[in-house]
Amino acid sequence: MGEYALLYILFAPFVGALGLIFVSNRQPTLVRGIAASAAFVSLVASLYIFYGYDPVQGGFQFVQKFAWSKELGIALYLGVDGIGTPLVLASSILLFAGIFVSWHIKDRAKEFYIWLLILAAATIGVFMSLDLFFLYFFYEMSVIPMYLLLGMWGSHTKKYLEMTDPEGLKQRDSVGFIFNFGSNSKEYAAMKLVLFLSAFAVAALMGILLIYKFSGLNTFDILVLREQANLMNIPVLGTTLDKIIWILVFFGFASIAPIWPLHSWSPVGHAAAPAATSMLHAGVLMKLGHFSIIRVAFEILPETTRELMPIAAVLCMFSIIYGGFVAFYAKDTKYVIGYSSSSHMGYVFLGMAALNYISLSGAVIYMFAHAMATGMLFAMAGWVYDQTHTRDIPSLGGLSNKMPFISGCFIVGCMASIGMPGTVNFVAEIMIVVGSWNKYPLQVIVAMLGIVLTLAYLFKMMRGLFYGPMNQKYSHAHDAVGTVDRLPLLMMITISIGFGIFPMHLYEVVRSGVDPLIARITQVVPVAKSDEGSRSVKAAAEITQPPAIPMVSHKPIAQVSEASRGGQE
Amino acid sequence: MNFVLNLSFSDLLLLLPEIFLTCWLCVVITVDFVSPRLPKERLAYLSVGGLLATLGCLAWFDVNQVSGTLFGNMFVLDRMAIFFKIFILGSTTLVILASIEYVDRFTLFRGEYYALVVMSALGMMFMASANDLLSVFVSLEFSTLGFYILVSYLRDDLASNEAGLKFFILGVFAAGLFAYGISLVYGETGKLVFSDMASAPATPGLIIGFLLIFAALGFKIGAVPFHSWIPDTYHGAPTPVTAFLSIAPKGAALAILLRIFIVALGTFKPTWIYLLVVVSIVSMTYGNIVAIAQRNIKRLLAYSGIAQIGNVLIGLAAGTKMGNDAILFYLLAYLFANIGAFAVVIAVSQAIGRDEIEDYRGLGRRSPFLAFSMLLFLLSLAGVPPLAGFIGKLYIFIAAIKEGLYTLITVGLINIVISMYYYLIVVKQMYINEPIDPSPISIRGHMKAVIYVGLAGTLVIGIYPQPFTDWVVAATLMFANFVTPAATITPPTLLIGS
Repeated sequence: MGEYALLYILFAPFVGALGLIFVSNRQPTLVRGIAASAAFVSLVASLYIFYGYDPVQGGFQFVQKFAWSKELGIALYLGVDGIGTPLVLASSILLFAGIFVSWHIKDRAKEFYIWLLILAAATIGVFMSLDLFFLYFFYEMSVIPMYLLLGMWGSHTKKYLEMTDPEGLKQRDSVGFIFNFGSNSKEYAAMKLVLFLSAFAVAALMGILLIYKFSGLNTFDILVLREQANLMNIPVLGTTLDKIIWILVFFGFASIAPIWPLHSWSPVGHAAAPAATSMLHAGVLMKLGHFSIIRVAFEILPETTRELMPIAAVLCMFSIIYGGFVAFYAKDTKYVIGYSSSSHMGYVFLGMAALNYISLSGAVIYMFAHAMATGMLFAMAGWVYDQTHTRDIPSLGGLSNKMPFISGCFIVGCMASIGMPGTVNFVAEIMIVVGSWNKYPLQVIVAMLGIVLTLAYLFKMMRGLFYGPMNQKYSHAHDAVGTVDRLPLLMMITISIGFGIFPMHLYEVVRSGVDPLIARITQVVPVAKSDEGSRSVKAAAEITQPPAIPMVSHKPIAQVSEASRGGQE
Repeated sequence: MNFVLNLSFSDLLLLLPEIFLTCWLCVVITVDFVSPRLPKERLAYLSVGGLLATLGCLAWFDVNQVSGTLFGNMFVLDRMAIFFKIFILGSTTLVILASIEYVDRFTLFRGEYYALVVMSALGMMFMASANDLLSVFVSLEFSTLGFYILVSYLRDDLASNEAGLKFFILGVFAAGLFAYGISLVYGETGKLVFSDMASAPATPGLIIGFLLIFAALGFKIGAVPFHSWIPDTYHGAPTPVTAFLSIAPKGAALAILLRIFIVALGTFKPTWIYLLVVVSIVSMTYGNIVAIAQRNIKRLLAYSGIAQIGNVLIGLAAGTKMGNDAILFYLLAYLFANIGAFAVVIAVSQAIGRDEIEDYRGLGRRSPFLAFSMLLFLLSLAGVPPLAGFIGKLYIFIAAIKEGLYTLITVGLINIVISMYYYLIVVKQMYINEPIDPSPISIRGHMKAVIYVGLAGTLVIGIYPQPFTDWVVAATLMFANFVTPAATITPPTLLIGS
């Protein structure tokens, strides 16, 4: 069974979606049952690969390869390394949680689960693709379900719903609503999301096609391309080809991440989406961007990455600060969390930009950690919306009386989001900060400021939602009481805190993926990572903080780092 | 040139599909004539039976690699001709199945409708095999004759009459251009068969002649700037005829374009690449941008068809064997998506009686099956994975990037995004907007069959394209002999840098 685990993870949701087509909406239990069991299969198989992944051996494991089109040089080539494994796990967890979060959907539940499963499966497909074609294939495939999920089960903003005068109604229904930026309807959000992501995806596709053409290898196989493709020093348009490809790939994929000037689709999309979709969207869909940049740009163009990654270091500052300030002033629960996600994705870019073992590992762990934290927050914002049918913070308040469980979980979610010690976010944040300090001190200071901002806006939102005087209009709101409602939140909290206290396996898995990559980029060879020293750290367990030693990415540092960690103990 | 008819039995075998279909056509007409009270549905099944038998025969040809030429090279049966004949007959079969209900709207000559459809298909089969300018002209006009009548089949509908008249006037004009082009080319080279022209020197007369021929064929495939008849004709014609018109003649005309550009004009690639690049860019961009403003689903599909042809021309501009493979593959994807989309349009217009996009409000509630099918067909046309259209577009882009046509690919990629907007507008109407009249829409069996075939084709080609790529690669094998000049001769403006 073991070697086929990736196929189970990828195809269980597809099979589930296919099975759902033949079920009637009149049998809601069966519909939910099929969706939940498909997600469960995926989750179990993901846990299997996560714990079955051998970090000592490293590299790509659980590899599956099927010829798909010989003429075009495409194969369905699946495999996970230390970077893909936690992200696959995060996707399955969020899919499983998302199905329970959307348990009470009444309207066209079958269709909802079909699109949700396809969305999650496509996302998972990106994380395990070792073929550029399939990476793009799954990437683009994940965009379209978002349109339907947002459009059919999403919600309008308050501003849109207030446009009830004749002029407003006319504006709302006009054909050119896409050009009408005033009406933040869910249709607008959905269309903007799809067009924005597709527009940048085709830029990335252009980059992929250029890699295909100029490698001359007639293949999309990432492993072959990274070993054999020689794209350096081809002069084009006054610069070199590798830079053009890198820029296309980077910005093409960074749009979904979303990096600062390309972020505007994201909060709008988060806000309009139903809870489970927001969870997947913020939790894993945005990570497709970072992951694809790592997989395509880092793997195939390591030297160009070293040269151009400072771009990300500059832009990530704007992401962090801009997202943080907008979140602070936003009055819509989902906008706050949406902008907070955009802002937090800046940390991942910072970790990637610093290009050393600690910071990149931190970035990957942060992706996993953020998936859990933001998943919780969106699930709870969705719960509040389902109970009150509003996302407007000023009109809410005092809900902690009505929903003590949710408000308690919300505190944990905020803590995780901020990066409180004890949650896996802390591990990730500290690694990013420590790892990037030498190279980008200014950015680290900005990131610290971003953490303060996060604290400010999340607490502001928490106060607005759960404390203060209660609006009597919402006195009918009730708490999450049943297992079904509590399970997803408890699951995500457990995982967030669990990995916060015992991060060693996660860390080792991630390091096994990061090490060869950074070695290729910085031309520095890492030391074997699973020696006795790191095992003893695992035993100590509470030591979550990697050593704060001076690190310069062009020097061999791994050895020093291992030694100093032992000393700290 | 001597036209001694020296036909042996084995020569006749090459003509077997055409001969059989001609006889079958006579049978259909005779049955309709002899028993006028016979339900017209039976005639449809009769025609479909004949078409399927012919398809079987062609499949047998393809498997056994039957090939040869007839009538002093005027008629050629190679694997590409067989591919296009299967393409044409496949679309004809689906169109007939999709039109059974629609035929009740015609006041007169319901039986002849099927005969005319089959007759046009027969003409297009000859087009697929035409190997010299004369047979191209004759078969082209033969097939178009049927279409002139079919387009104006709704006798009492002004739009249909207008459509027929527009199509006829412009079609005859195109035919005139074509004939003039032939005379110029013949005058310059003294040759009519494509493969004989390959070594002709480029004289001004020859260039003008080929430009005229290109204009006439561009009219058939609806490439900008020869597209002006498309929207009105598509809009006014009976919907099954629109479906037919949007698929089969484009395929047949592309077969001729492939033979002309690769076989006859292969050595002039550095020259005609400009023409194709410009026409392709303008077609894609114009088709997609104007489609945004459409309120009628048939007009939307008409403009989307113009844009799709622009995409196909990228493959032709590549001018390599892989480019040709990509064109054939793209046409397959286009066939299933387009026939499916039109089948949904027919089913909806049977229930609602109108074809406006706003009539699709809430189709997702009224008929989940129709809405879901339409969603997949439109997404396939837009080029979204895992559907056939995506692989088709990618195939074309890969073929083009190997030839270094960066400008074209960039424009093509941008156009994917533009086209997504108007396809998604239809999706929005179907799924997001609530229906005004929530009564369910019922679909009859044969319509369902057409949609299922479209769905199967769209999904299977998208998910497992290997058998289809094998097929198209084998179909264009004969082009391996006609190697066009390498990409390095392409004008420097088309390459970034260098």
